[in-house]
Amino acid sequence: MSNQPIDTSIYSAISTAIQTEAKRILAEEQVSAVIGYTTARRQGSAQPIVITAANDAAKLIFSPACVNNLAVYLTKAKKEIPKQGRIGIVVKGCDLKALVGLMGESQLRREDLYLIGVPCAGVLGSTVQPATALTSDSIAPKCSECDARLPQGCDFVPSQTPATPELEHKYAAEIARLEALTPHERWAYWKEQFSKCIKCYACRQVCPFCFCEQCLCDRNKPQMVETTPRPAGNTAWHIVRAMHLAGRCAGCAECERVCPMDIPLNLLNRKMAKELKELYAYEAGFEVQDKGPLTSYEEKDDQSFIK
Amino acid sequence: MVEIVGSTMHPEKQKHSFEPKIIAFVCTWCTYAGADLAGTSRMQYPANVRVLKFPCTGRIDPVFILKAFQQGADGVLVSGCHPGDCHYIAGNFHARRRFAVFRKLLEFVGVDLDRLQFSWVSAAEGGKWVEMVSDLTERVRAMGPMTEFKELALEEQWSGAIDTPELKEAYNSI
Ligand code: SF4
Ligand code: SF4
Ligand code: FES
Repeated sequence: MSNQPIDTSIYSAISTAIQTEAKRILAEEQVSAVIGYTTARRQGSAQPIVITAANDAAKLIFSPACVNNLAVYLTKAKKEIPKQGRIGIVVKGCDLKALVGLMGESQLRREDLYLIGVPCAGVLGSTVQPATALTSDSIAPKCSECDARLPQGCDFVPSQTPATPELEHKYAAEIARLEALTPHERWAYWKEQFSKCIKCYACRQVCPFCFCEQCLCDRNKPQMVETTPRPAGNTAWHIVRAMHLAGRCAGCAECERVCPMDIPLNLLNRKMAKELKELYAYEAGFEVQDKGPLTSYEEKDDQSFIK
Repeated sequence: MVEIVGSTMHPEKQKHSFEPKIIAFVCTWCTYAGADLAGTSRMQYPANVRVLKFPCTGRIDPVFILKAFQQGADGVLVSGCHPGDCHYIAGNFHARRRFAVFRKLLEFVGVDLDRLQFSWVSAAEGGKWVEMVSDLTERVRAMGPMTEFKELALEEQWSGAIDTPELKEAYNSI
């Protein structure tokens, strides 16, 4: 497929709408802070910001470089963000799925949040060159398969509608390619990928669902997962990570974006999401559910694999 | 085929070139009691199985299966009470989902699922336990040793693979 441009002209109007709304809710003291995006130093780049004064609302923006899933700032893992009173947060559809999941897991309460949803045409896959125009090549693969361009159930959503064309589903294609291989070939593929891991745990740090205060993978009495960045421990880490996120992952692909070793981490999470959909007709992130697919059961569940 | 010679009390053991290590994670109330029944009824089954007893299948974390393979198991059996018979009411229903999903993950990573067996074996099913262990042992024996995880454990560092064109270019430009 040739490289198609993607229209992001609505982002300036969306930025203005976000600013106006943030200013209003801060001025009316509906919220104590707003978590959003602002421009960073390099041309075209963006970074997260927490604002507490109505006058700072003008700093907020939305652009193709607004890649971060800000939901992570609301979890227990980010103790430095004070969570007094209601907090406003700018969310793309994928980020909202993470918040929905966190609400289901009793980590957040809806009434403590003021959700500013972004009608999203897509963001960049890599912000190494933040001023890159959004095209079918530069767009994040997660955005090509997004099913939540217009976030649902927010307190405020700017009125613009994104017009992103149908794009190639890179994750789905890659999962299908791997599924068609023999177990031996798949092992060889993952062995190479996992061997690159340096156990920096950036993927864990950025994930809204990795909020445990003590991760199983850090424990050493008993040690379930070897902690050194050697192939054996890496493989165990990736399998445990995928398992612990099964049925929870919002598909924000932040883990994959931050991985310095370019490991296609989200493939594992998406494969699990696909299996959970097939097995239990469960999809994460659309509605707040107090039981996930792996914390509930039905008597009629498939047991064809059990003798 | 296993040829049985000698008295039935002490059948002569067939010599195989490969004796697989099978780890069985079992719940104490049903499968463990079933295995016990097989023993007290003097039923014969391969001595390749190492039984680890848990309060319930709900207590069997998928990471245990991973650990077993890493520590040298060639096959893993997970077994507990039949649906409806769990002594904690729903432990095995939860376990059933967890293992259904975990199998899919292992399969995607490239583990041959023939090395992993799940079963429901009640306290009265000594015969079924014998069948489960015998089947898995023979299947795994035919497959040969599970080398994947063992090879990983022997490999040292990732540095061998860190020769991407970008890194080489960066290195050369220093
Ligand atoms: S971010 Fe990448 S290198 Fe770091 S621990 Fe995760 S997978 Fe490994
Ligand atoms: S596992 Fe990755 S894609 Fe899933 S919620 Fe965590 S950071 Fe996002
Ligand atoms: S007690 Fe046997 S499976 Fe729960």
